[in-house]
Amino acid sequence: MRAVCWHGRHDVRVDEVADPQILSKNDAIVKVALTCICGSDLHLYNGYVPTMKKGDILGHEFVGEIVEVGSRVTRFHVGDRVIVPFPISCGACWYCKHELWSLCDNSNPNAWMLEHMYGDTGGGIFGYSHLYGGFAGGQAEYVRVPFADVGLERIPSGVPYEQVVLLTDILPTGYQAAYYCNINPGDTVAVWGCGPVGLMAMMSARHLGAERVIGIDRFPDRLQAARAQCQAEVLNYEEVDVAEALQNMTGGRGPDSCIDAVGMEAVGTGFEGVYDSVKQALRLETDRASALRQLAKACRKGGTLSIVGVYAGFVDKFPMGALFAKGLTLRCGQAHVHKYLPHLVKLVAEQQLNPSSIITHRLPLQEAPMGYKMFLNKQDACIKIVLDPQAGATGTERAPQGEGA
Amino acid sequence: MEQSESERSESRPWQRPRKMNVGPAERKASLAGGAALALSGLRNLSRRNYASGLAMIAAGGMFLYRGQTGYCGLYDAMGVDTMHTQPGGLRIEKAVTIGLPPDEVYEFWRNLENLPRFMKHLEAVEVTGPRTSHWKATGPGGISAEWDAEMMEDTPGQQISWHSVGEADIPNKGSVEFKEAPGNRGTEVRVTIDYYPPGGAAGKAAAKIAHGINAQQLEEDLKRLKQILEVGEETTARRTAD
Ligand SMILES: [Zn+2]
Ligand SMILES: [Zn+2]
Repeated sequence: MRAVCWHGRHDVRVDEVADPQILSKNDAIVKVALTCICGSDLHLYNGYVPTMKKGDILGHEFVGEIVEVGSRVTRFHVGDRVIVPFPISCGACWYCKHELWSLCDNSNPNAWMLEHMYGDTGGGIFGYSHLYGGFAGGQAEYVRVPFADVGLERIPSGVPYEQVVLLTDILPTGYQAAYYCNINPGDTVAVWGCGPVGLMAMMSARHLGAERVIGIDRFPDRLQAARAQCQAEVLNYEEVDVAEALQNMTGGRGPDSCIDAVGMEAVGTGFEGVYDSVKQALRLETDRASALRQLAKACRKGGTLSIVGVYAGFVDKFPMGALFAKGLTLRCGQAHVHKYLPHLVKLVAEQQLNPSSIITHRLPLQEAPMGYKMFLNKQDACIKIVLDPQAGATGTERAPQGEGA
Repeated sequence: MEQSESERSESRPWQRPRKMNVGPAERKASLAGGAALALSGLRNLSRRNYASGLAMIAAGGMFLYRGQTGYCGLYDAMGVDTMHTQPGGLRIEKAVTIGLPPDEVYEFWRNLENLPRFMKHLEAVEVTGPRTSHWKATGPGGISAEWDAEMMEDTPGQQISWHSVGEADIPNKGSVEFKEAPGNRGTEVRVTIDYYPPGGAAGKAAAKIAHGINAQQLEEDLKRLKQILEVGEETTARRTAD
């Protein structure tokens, strides 16, 4: 089969590799119908995540059809159309039983690596380095899915793959970010980053009852998407002082909750931005934290900082003083996708949420290397790329556009 | 953690007294080895081999530090304690919580022939009598070691301890305790193993194996035990059978 393989920094290729096999009675083999390139794939692409090996198959966002199941799989059958959550969860450990699915104790065979880095383990993730288990990813024609009964979620009949492919990661991730904000009537939620996850967070915050959502970014296409898809007010952080602008927009209080949908590759401005870039390049600081610092400064007293952007290592100059002085709550972590899926599938099937409106590009799998480059450089108004492993032909195809995207 | 007199006398006013876990002979060697490691770490860094370079410098620094203080962060992280074992011995201690009652975890362990299913360095454990067993381990490069073991303590649902008997390639003793975890979390399994790598040229191969049986390996073993008991099998990230 064909698969998108990592070969090094800024080097992904579509390779011919062996088809996956059922190795456990709990496995299913899924024939991938659609798969996405995620913002966190760019961290791998940019070489910021350790333990990647040449030939690793990328991708953790994919949906498809079951073509084979292990003998212990009872909830699913060949022919079922399924959503595959990006975290791999065993369903049997204490964490899974307490709905902390992405913190599963048993799904990561390399758990000791994370334990040495972070002090404790995290579950496995498809196509996301050997720290997260070394599982092959979904940017391929077929994928072996462990713990099929636990992880998979059925796609209601009549709902096309396009509408649910973003439920594998970015919608539940954005939803969890908004959910963590404990939104009350009248609340304002500010979201740093109007990329795919940021847009999903704004969409979810609206759905959960936020009175206002404010999107912060520097790319006009993304700010426009936030306005159009999420009815957000927007701020371009290259044009205004974000903290001050947010204060002025909220009667001097600051947003009730602030969501960081940027993560470790934030682009800072001024001296602070240069400081972070230099330190990150020298590996003295692994994560650039300019967004995180702004969040802490801007948030209202007693508010919540909700972090969904990926951080991998250490950050400097974290404004601990602001956190303490203002009594802020900090919530973060990989999304517990399994927890939100049934509810979100229902919302999408009932057309109460329309995440697929942010998809801007649909490419054959073969075009993945070009897709990564385009997504990295935000070319051609690119917000979300969906890859189709079944499309044999080459050539790009713009997805049908939602209003104004 | 209880403090010994020597720990107190070595502590500095600006530095919290720490436990010691590095024996005296090893402390001398640490001072020399640490400098070498840190140097080769720097060399790696200059070859843009950041990750391993940083790790080596960190490790090098740690060796220097433990030589001076008798405390080793790496040993602590690895669960190794060479101070509280007999001279030449290596103590490894690890714990894991498994979501099953102590009786069931004990039962699985008590059937010693189950051990190679999750202990990767063990090739086979053969039960030879009510309290005796024969163990076979393999190490790097296909070298192997064998020994007979005798169970000393066997309290159902609570504890099993054993020691090697006779001419063991790697003399060792160990114990595993099973304790009910609070809040319905299952069983806390705590394993303590002491190895005595033999000296001299003849013992070199066996020592290599003992070296491979470090705390990280034990930690991985216990995680596999947890997978087998909680999930029913070892988790694999492999894609194809070969
Ligand atoms: Zn993703
Ligand atoms: Zn689990």
